[in-house]
Amino acid sequence: MSTPAVRLPRTARRPGRAAEALAGYTFLAPNLVLLGVFVLLPLVGAAVLSLQRTDGFGAGRFVGLDNYARLVGDGLFWRSTLNTALFTAVVTPLSMALGLGIAVLLNSVLPGRAFFRSVLILPMAVSGVATALMGVLVFDENSGVVDKLLRFAGLPAVPWQSGGAAAFVSVVLVTLWWRVGFNMLIYLAGLQGIGPEIYEAGKLDGASGWQAFRHLTVPMVGPSSFFLLIMNVIYSFQVFDIVFVLTGGGPRNATSVLVTYAYDTGFVTRDQGYAAAIGMVLLLVTLAFTALRWRTSRSRDLVG
Amino acid sequence: MSAPTTRLGTVPAPTRPRAGRRRRERTLLTLRLVLALAVSVVLLFPLYWMVVVSLSSRAELLGGDLRFWPRDLTLENFRRVLDSFPVLTWFGNSVAIAVVVALLTVAVNLLAGYAFAQLRFRGSGVLFLLALSTLMLPVQVIMVSLFRLVTGLGLYGSYWAVILPTAASAFGVFLARQFLIAIPRELVEAARIDGAGHLAVFLRIVLPLSKPLIAVLFFMSLLQTWNDFAWPLIALKDNALFTLPIGLLYLQGQFGSDYGGTMAFALLTVAPMVVLFLGFQRYFVQGFARSGIR
Amino acid sequence: MSLTRRGFLGATAAAAPVALAGCAGFRTGGAATDEGADGALTFTTWGTDSELAGFRSAIDQFLAANPGSQVQLNAVPYEQMFTNIDAQIQAGNPPDVFRVPYYTFGGYAGRQQLLDLTPHLEAGFADRFTETAWSAVQNDGKPFGVPHHTDTSAILYNKDVLDAAGITAVPTEVEQAWTWDQFGEVAATLRKSLDRDKYPFAYNWQGNGVTRWLSLLFQADGRFLAEDLRTPAIDSAAGRAALEFSQGFFSDRLVPPSDSVKSTTYAADLWYSQTTAMVFGGAFMVPDADATLDFSWGATFAPRKVRGGGDFGGNALVATAGTPRPELAAKFLAFVTEQEQMRAFCAGASLLPTRRDLAEQGVEFAVRPELSPVFLGQAGVVRAQDAAQVASPSMTGIITVLKDQLEEAFVGGQSVEDTLAGLTEGIASATAGE
Repeated sequence: MSTPAVRLPRTARRPGRAAEALAGYTFLAPNLVLLGVFVLLPLVGAAVLSLQRTDGFGAGRFVGLDNYARLVGDGLFWRSTLNTALFTAVVTPLSMALGLGIAVLLNSVLPGRAFFRSVLILPMAVSGVATALMGVLVFDENSGVVDKLLRFAGLPAVPWQSGGAAAFVSVVLVTLWWRVGFNMLIYLAGLQGIGPEIYEAGKLDGASGWQAFRHLTVPMVGPSSFFLLIMNVIYSFQVFDIVFVLTGGGPRNATSVLVTYAYDTGFVTRDQGYAAAIGMVLLLVTLAFTALRWRTSRSRDLVG
Repeated sequence: MSAPTTRLGTVPAPTRPRAGRRRRERTLLTLRLVLALAVSVVLLFPLYWMVVVSLSSRAELLGGDLRFWPRDLTLENFRRVLDSFPVLTWFGNSVAIAVVVALLTVAVNLLAGYAFAQLRFRGSGVLFLLALSTLMLPVQVIMVSLFRLVTGLGLYGSYWAVILPTAASAFGVFLARQFLIAIPRELVEAARIDGAGHLAVFLRIVLPLSKPLIAVLFFMSLLQTWNDFAWPLIALKDNALFTLPIGLLYLQGQFGSDYGGTMAFALLTVAPMVVLFLGFQRYFVQGFARSGIR
Repeated sequence: MSLTRRGFLGATAAAAPVALAGCAGFRTGGAATDEGADGALTFTTWGTDSELAGFRSAIDQFLAANPGSQVQLNAVPYEQMFTNIDAQIQAGNPPDVFRVPYYTFGGYAGRQQLLDLTPHLEAGFADRFTETAWSAVQNDGKPFGVPHHTDTSAILYNKDVLDAAGITAVPTEVEQAWTWDQFGEVAATLRKSLDRDKYPFAYNWQGNGVTRWLSLLFQADGRFLAEDLRTPAIDSAAGRAALEFSQGFFSDRLVPPSDSVKSTTYAADLWYSQTTAMVFGGAFMVPDADATLDFSWGATFAPRKVRGGGDFGGNALVATAGTPRPELAAKFLAFVTEQEQMRAFCAGASLLPTRRDLAEQGVEFAVRPELSPVFLGQAGVVRAQDAAQVASPSMTGIITVLKDQLEEAFVGGQSVEDTLAGLTEGIASATAGE
């Protein structure tokens, strides 16, 4: 994406181009200053820090790429990377599919739509910490309501805290509860931009409900999907509050992700240079993914 | 967004359907209704459970039986939380910080979004991508150096230490550009030919058209700041200046976690946003629908 | 440069008007006048309600004894206490005095962040404390703090459940504490009499409590650091015994599967909700348990093998190296460890004294005083050599190693030998890396 979307043919003479440029930079200045000072500058700082060995007090020692070399042989780093990738690969499609399904449902003939819509976006208003605390209440394997229900029904209880897979599932479920509303909202906005006449035409062609969904709805909400894909991946790479409160990365690191690992390394064991290196890797992976996505969909106009 | 809460939706009524088809439609409608109800129950249950736990006595929570309604309702948890913590002060801090961040975010991002959407200048594409790429950055990555920076600027421990880094977010820029790009350029050009300056155009033409966008930006920002916890934890130091999510940590005692108290506090934290959300959701949804992400 | 505002609002923020807090928050101090101009001592701590009450009354008495001085208490959540302290140290603006667990103490003392109290203390000051307590605040042979109180884990038991299983006699003298074998029998008896989803006991080694596993190592008369406090010493018969014993807790289903070291479930909660019949826990649990539980319960000693052993829990109070008020800070530290102050604090907060005289006389807890002897007796078996190891500057790193390796040993099926090897390697690199 080398140029911003240009919508008009270039007029032969545009008076005040310099003035327009000046206005552009002026309008951007507050935002760029904020981003520059509070995001990019610390990022440079983090990059420098990742080349040092420091205990968090006083100045660090320059060690070159030592921290990065350590990463290669660090089992927990690979485990966290794998978990992050897995989490992203599970949560992104699931929250998008559920979001789209519910959006289609709410976009159809249905009594009480406004009520349902309110219910669905309600979790968006809840903080990550509170969401995770709710998760603790629901999924505790000794006193949680889910396992009480299972025991009540004579089924074996699920080891949400002591089983690695179960713990991972609990993090995914809590995340879905929190995120589906946002996905639904974006899809609903997308669906409402589709006129009913398209479906009428489809009906005349004898398309079944599923065919209409598959060949009309899905392509029509493409731009929403693209936006959500990027957003969900970015979010999944950064999942912190929920893991931090719900599982603390356990059991046996089954739910340790890169962000929690970096946090632990930087603020618990105070190995801040190493933590910065983990952060850099995380950033590079996210950027690579986004760039890749962007390249493969260059042709797609994001603005729909 | 028109969401009639009455019988039928926006899909045009079919022309006099036959009886069989009508029955099938009714079955489908029932099916959809059941599905929507099921989804709602699943989503509402944790919130409901939070309320139940916050109203239950500690003894009852420790009892092992499964109940969906507390035997005797008690406000004991709320009383204990309000007695032991300066909840009102923290609430005020949360409001002050969130409102200032939201106002700042709206102002800064509207200006930037307008520049990216409507003005042509060298480097705008690159700058836009640069701004966008900062979205990929988890705050944990830059926490250490951000902390050193904030300290160096002499902001550490004050509200500004939370406000400025939080307001430096590019999500609003993206949203604003998407929305403002839909404003016909002819409108802007016409005003410019009449001799209005860029700022005048922005104030007189763009701002009035941007109300839904402002609503969305303001809310998104308010919500995010209100719920933020990783950064304020590091940036604030006096408990007189803490925000509500940090207060929630107080309840994670060193021994037995006090579920009732924690949930009572969590509820106090969540309730204002839920109420706002429900009150303004129409504008919110409209803003999203019109922000051009589709 | 650091331009924070310090304690504009006094010790607690309780009921400060919102508007005032608002103004305060938006001001970024610009000059030293913004500090407690009169040299107020800042004291950062976390604490339970009764601990904070104890600190407040000690501060009041200190101010009465030292007219004209000021102390500002800043209470923060425990979860973030040290992130905050570290941040403030980096910012060059730490509190004058803070509270620190003994296993965290070494990390600060060994990095030159604490005030060496040697020049500020009167002669013979060390004789106030038990040898064990004094050894817990040493670094390189110099004191960098005062041992304010200690705590150690005994066993709290649900009397009704033990009765139902036919276990009616529990040890009441520390010399009579259950041996490992006897403890194993008790647990096996309980296992037989309990439902599948109930368990004999829970062990409180979650989070930083992982140091409490070391109690078992000490009971087997083992060490994790050699005399030089650098070389790993865990690969020993004692280390092997402690590991096998604790692995058996999980393989014999004596503890709930979610009772491992990295669990987010507190052991105390498992006992509160009657999922377990017994729990390892400190004296500080007593007031809360007394207020909350509706079953009858008691306390007995942690088991012994070669000898009794326990964790030297609790906290030191330390002054920071850069404090502009070292004299006043040292004076304050000395004051809060006077006999009267320590007695009042320990009695109110259900914690154990570190002074020789009080350790001998005992302290009557305000709540369930008849349990005081159990905890005092348990604290008495902790040895100076045990506490000294935990004061290692590398303890933070060692804690991480312990967490990782024990988690693998308990729920990851890692063998005893592999765990010992992993622990040895991890401890070696932790002590080398500092």
